[in-house]
Amino acid sequence: MRDYGLLASIAAVLAVPALLVRPWPPQEPDWRLLDRVGGSLAVGLIVGRLAALAIDDPRSLTSVADLLVIRSGVDFWPGLTAGIAWLAWTEHRADRRPAALLGTVASAGLVGWAAYEASCLLRDGCPGPISPIGLRPDGLIERQFPVALIVAVAAVLVGWLVDRARRRDLPDIDSIIVAIGAVALIRSIASFWLPHVGTGLTRQHLTSLAIFLACAAVLPVVRQRRTRTAS
Amino acid sequence: MDERRRGRTLATRWGRIALLIVAAVAVFVATRPDSTPAFVANGPAIDTPPPGVLTDLTADEFEGVLVGLRGRPVIVNVWASWCAPCRTETPLLQRTSQAHRSDIVIIGVNSRDQRVGALAFMDEFDVTFTNIFDESGEIRRRLGVRGFPSTYVFGADGKLRTTVVGGLTEQRLASIIADVTA
Repeated sequence: MRDYGLLASIAAVLAVPALLVRPWPPQEPDWRLLDRVGGSLAVGLIVGRLAALAIDDPRSLTSVADLLVIRSGVDFWPGLTAGIAWLAWTEHRADRRPAALLGTVASAGLVGWAAYEASCLLRDGCPGPISPIGLRPDGLIERQFPVALIVAVAAVLVGWLVDRARRRDLPDIDSIIVAIGAVALIRSIASFWLPHVGTGLTRQHLTSLAIFLACAAVLPVVRQRRTRTAS
Repeated sequence: MDERRRGRTLATRWGRIALLIVAAVAVFVATRPDSTPAFVANGPAIDTPPPGVLTDLTADEFEGVLVGLRGRPVIVNVWASWCAPCRTETPLLQRTSQAHRSDIVIIGVNSRDQRVGALAFMDEFDVTFTNIFDESGEIRRRLGVRGFPSTYVFGADGKLRTTVVGGLTEQRLASIIADVTA
């Protein structure tokens, strides 16, 4: 079967937050938000793919055909960093505060990520450790615990919490750090159960762990500095 | 006021796009073709060709190799040196063949390709698992390959368990291995 699951997943990443924004608009209504997020997603995909090629097979970097096959791997963190940088740069160019927009999209971004993880149902059947409770990916015999669905639930929960906290005046920068840190923590924990070849921690796992620790270290510093400036 | 109306128009537009995407996804899921495998290897068993080299085999001989390997799960990967995702997944398959040497057998089938290009590809990625050169394309036809790369997973009973068309991710491959070795 030809796998169009990735295409469907990308559609879900855009569709689910777009549907949610209608009844549940962000704190600062900015209706052009999704137009700009679309550009950020495209930049993230390209940079994530380039990073994957640069790390796994640098000789492929000169081949456009190789670059286009995103099914073969998109590095999550370089992609996310590029997407955020793109949004920040477009805001800065328009003489607006990048942090304000990034803070606004933080919870929608978490919901979009949750949609991507949940769309594993269309992509590969949500693999995980073999378990009596779970799904049976296409063609397999054993049931596997759908780790990605748990990740999706956790991401939606954190997205909801970030949105609530923002409505109670959580500053933009804090929202961004909490959202990124939560993504890193969820990915770090999930990586223990996600199937991988060989032993030891995967590159994705180690990167997520490092980013979580960095966020956990930066957040108190930012809050402390703000308190000091205010007093 | 104008800004608000413009905002509502944009929101409606995005809402419609979102609904269209959701409808498209629903159609995709509903019309997803059945992936029930059909290929069954038959014939007299023959020995597996030596690893790390590109061996010429006919389709009958290829089936004989699969028959001879019954009792162990086998992953057959159909590849070509010009195929972009094959470049990405070959290091993964090589790593897997090393990590699961005692559990599973990985066999590469090079098809619709030139021997020189295939050998250069194997050399570039230091491929050490068994590889078969499908010069006539008959192995490809019997397996029913619809795109490159294609991966066929056979259980220890010799039955084709699942087929993956397109590049394999590490997660997908690892979950398949967990299933066939369980």
